[in-house]
Amino acid sequence: MNGEHVLVVGYGNTLRSDDGVGWHAARRLAADPRLEGATVLARHQLTPELATDIASASLVVLVDVSVAGAPGSVSVRWIRPRPDRPPAWSHHLDPEALAGLAGALYDAVPPMAVVSVASTSLAVGDRLSATLERALPEVVETVTRVVEEHRRA
Amino acid sequence: MGREIVIEPVTRIEGHAKITIQLDDDGQVADAHFHVTQFRGFERICQGRPVHELPSIMARICGICPVSHLIASAKACDQILAVDPPPTAVDLRRIMNLAQVVQSHALSFFHLSSPDLLFGFDAEAGGRHLFGVLGANPQLARDGVGLRRFGQQVIESLGGKRIHPAWVVPGGVDAPLQAETRDQILAGLPEARAATERALSWYKASVQRFAEEAARFGDFPSAFMGLVGPDGAVEHYDGALRVVGADGSVLAERADPRPYWEYLGEAVEPWSYLKSAYWKDLGYPDGVYRVGPLARLNVADKLGTSRADEELEAFRGRLGRTPASSFHYHQARLIEILGCLEQLEGLLRDPDICSPRVRSVAGINREEGIGVAEAPRGTLLHHYRVDGDGIVQWANLVIATGHNNLAMNRSVAQVARHYVKADRLTEPMLNRVEAVIRCYDPCLSCSTHAIGQMPLHLQLLAPDGTVLDELTR
Repeated sequence: MNGEHVLVVGYGNTLRSDDGVGWHAARRLAADPRLEGATVLARHQLTPELATDIASASLVVLVDVSVAGAPGSVSVRWIRPRPDRPPAWSHHLDPEALAGLAGALYDAVPPMAVVSVASTSLAVGDRLSATLERALPEVVETVTRVVEEHRRA
Repeated sequence: MGREIVIEPVTRIEGHAKITIQLDDDGQVADAHFHVTQFRGFERICQGRPVHELPSIMARICGICPVSHLIASAKACDQILAVDPPPTAVDLRRIMNLAQVVQSHALSFFHLSSPDLLFGFDAEAGGRHLFGVLGANPQLARDGVGLRRFGQQVIESLGGKRIHPAWVVPGGVDAPLQAETRDQILAGLPEARAATERALSWYKASVQRFAEEAARFGDFPSAFMGLVGPDGAVEHYDGALRVVGADGSVLAERADPRPYWEYLGEAVEPWSYLKSAYWKDLGYPDGVYRVGPLARLNVADKLGTSRADEELEAFRGRLGRTPASSFHYHQARLIEILGCLEQLEGLLRDPDICSPRVRSVAGINREEGIGVAEAPRGTLLHHYRVDGDGIVQWANLVIATGHNNLAMNRSVAQVARHYVKADRLTEPMLNRVEAVIRCYDPCLSCSTHAIGQMPLHLQLLAPDGTVLDELTR
């Protein structure tokens, strides 16, 4: 495991309105000087191949939309690997299964957090709702806070 | 009383489909059909759009093989512009296409089919997935994940993103290759090759267990079709279209494969959204032919790279010059990965590969264009007509899974006749019916998202629709 390496993965579908918030956040985070040295990826979904990147990181922060909570509210959830409940569809995974795959494949799972923001709309559309546009700076601040706290620790 | 078995959805394939098995009055399998139940409509969506947009639009057809559509579309656009892309641009397109074959074949073999090959077709369904492979053969699982990652990273490093890259454009590619990117790809090749070699060794040691399946999984005489280069080697980007018969004899070789309507027909059946392509000389539905990795090996004289050709020779030594069973698509896929990796190295070591001349620019100079290339699953054709301003008036796509449609239906019927008994609906039987479809790795489109679990559902129906028996998983 790389003791200094932070991995941020924003994921979702940019053609389904707020589902693309992970992509929008990843674009901002990639240009944020506070995350210098971190790897920031934008992905449509979590795939098994990410297990390799996860296993070599010291901290992983996933950024996704949520369908629970007040629209625009941002939350942080720390996850645990789940190796024992494989999904039926083997080329996209939920965060816990992906963490479990990294552990099983490479015997290395760093701390993993999911920063999520509650959606207003997942309808067809290539723009975020106004609510999530307003929430985007808070998403970015939350991710950087998680990373900075990790680095201080 | 005639009855019908329905398997819906078919799992571990790309897209949404079902299988129906029709039983006769004696409870024997009378016929079987592979139905594609999703509708896409890209041939209509693109009407009215500027032709320059088509490569990016058509790449959205699929989340697994977007590069194939990107390349076939760009080649059709090249014709409409009446330009030849610069040689370096052609090589860069080839590199991206080869990387696409690697990652797509890795998904098919390791993620979707290796559970059956590792645990057997009688194993409990709950363990037949990538995580199950991980528990039983961690190296195999690691190699699958690593190979797919390698192919996707090549695509991403060239195109800016691994899914739906827009780097291939009419007239060439959007940006030259940087030396640093070239070196990064080259650095990943040794491990990718080692992973492929390990998988091939494992497969060859395991395949004897499946002699019965190999003799039942689409084992019938048919024609095979694919592109070949001037030296008779497998060609993924360009070349002549060769068709061979079941005995390996060349039925046709067309230096220009583009006027496909002269030799291919496309039939439409009311029970599927997938067209059934057929070889016109043999008529419908007798004009069955197969495309994809097995077909490419069968039509070509060689792969054209040293290690892949050694494996091809051993493959033919074991199975004959023109293996007929679709079960052998699995090994063909691995051999082809090896050949693609070798070709990648050769292309990347070309001293001109970082040349800045990568795009020919022109306006609308023709009102029709056809692009042909080999996708991971087989020959892909894009055909467009535009008006004088380059606005798309009409489009037709002939995709690999359409070429294989008749063969897949025949294969399902063959497997069902052997394994399906009306009074005994079992999980291993269902798995074999699905597994024969997986041999072809049909891509019914991955650009739609699968939501939640996709259970297998089988119903035994009376002619009046009454459910006589039912299984789910």
